[in-house]
Amino acid sequence: MGLPSVKEFVRPGTLDEALELLRERGERAWPIGGGIDLVLFAPREVEAVVDLGRLPLRYVRENECRISIGAIATLREVLESPVVRDYLGGVIPEMLHQVASPLLRNLATIGGTLVSANPWSDVITLFLALGAEVVLSDGKARTIPLEKLYPARALRGTILTEVRLPSSARESAAAFWKFSRTAFDVALLNCATFVRMVGGRCVEARVVAGGTPQLGARLPRAEACLVGSGLDDASIERAAEAARESADVREDRRASADYRRELVLVGVKRSLHEARGRLAGGER
Amino acid sequence: MKISLTVNGAQRAFDVHPGDTLLEVLRREGYKGVKKGCGAGDCGACAVLLDGRAVNSCLVLAGKADGSEVLTIEGLSKDGALHPLQEAFLDEGAVQCGYCTPGMIIASLDLLTHHPDPSEEEIREGIAGNLCRCTGYTKELRAIQAAAEKMREARHG
Repeated sequence: MGLPSVKEFVRPGTLDEALELLRERGERAWPIGGGIDLVLFAPREVEAVVDLGRLPLRYVRENECRISIGAIATLREVLESPVVRDYLGGVIPEMLHQVASPLLRNLATIGGTLVSANPWSDVITLFLALGAEVVLSDGKARTIPLEKLYPARALRGTILTEVRLPSSARESAAAFWKFSRTAFDVALLNCATFVRMVGGRCVEARVVAGGTPQLGARLPRAEACLVGSGLDDASIERAAEAARESADVREDRRASADYRRELVLVGVKRSLHEARGRLAGGER
Repeated sequence: MKISLTVNGAQRAFDVHPGDTLLEVLRREGYKGVKKGCGAGDCGACAVLLDGRAVNSCLVLAGKADGSEVLTIEGLSKDGALHPLQEAFLDEGAVQCGYCTPGMIIASLDLLTHHPDPSEEEIREGIAGNLCRCTGYTKELRAIQAAAEKMREARHG
């Protein structure tokens, strides 16, 4: 219990102060949002905890181009935010309701979730499908696609300050699908899809599977089956089949590779049907 | 390091180790209603309200709670009168061994504070992070429904 190696707990009030603390303490320092993974996995080398909870990064807001979520916003705050409620048919709350428990969602931050990169992460799978970008700062801010943040790049000395989602274009839709043994358990597999249509033709598609048991990753062969199609049953079928063939599924203690392969097929198919239904249900 | 908390309405200052969890500090200081179960955020026995929202205190580093308001099960009754949730858990027999009860009630309090009239589905989701190995959850569900009704009545006079 607790973290016996920790000698110092600091709570900077500004980003510059936080970066300075991380620089000074080097590899012994760990930045935390909610701090869940730090307590759970308790790495022995941690001597200084830099709590980012007081940075002014606790917001969910939008302008005409994008939705911006501050790294310190908790999953609950995002879940309840009016800003994301109707975004792409409400796909964000739909996903967050399935993440862990209310107790954990009150503590977990969106930034911590993205940086921890737990391979079963539902948030990462969906945000990859939504084409999210993240803002990183090491004193100078830069914005990169969330996709480029993985595989878990060394973030030492860098703080993820914000995640951005593009404003939903006309005729676009997204859906999230998760399969787990209980409501509270992590996914045996999750997937998310995003499609954008112009004049009845799909012009942009993202298909992501996660918890395979690796971290969510796009499935370009499945996406290729959708782009140019009218999103009819046959192209959804082809995309789901391509997803099943191309997803890098493996065995772990939760499920066999064969079982996961079938889950990819079912998940991608259901998720695409759901997204198509949302397109028909009106423009978002 | 020193931290100061408002625990159940009373201002308190504690000397803590920087690696302590809030659960360890609270229990050490005598708030034994906060239970240690799994220590990994799975069971919810350690739930407390931190600034109004229920969290697993086993996963909160104590330093993070500095300056915050904490409510434990000990702080629920007022002048010897039980909180409607506590009463409802008794009335409905929603307690067997009782170990999960404080956490279950704290999670329910968060739920009912923010959703005074929850559906059965919302109640089930509200206590999804609280494991009970005795009751099968049916009686908790009924107790939370009964408490919600009582709390709504109290609100509207």
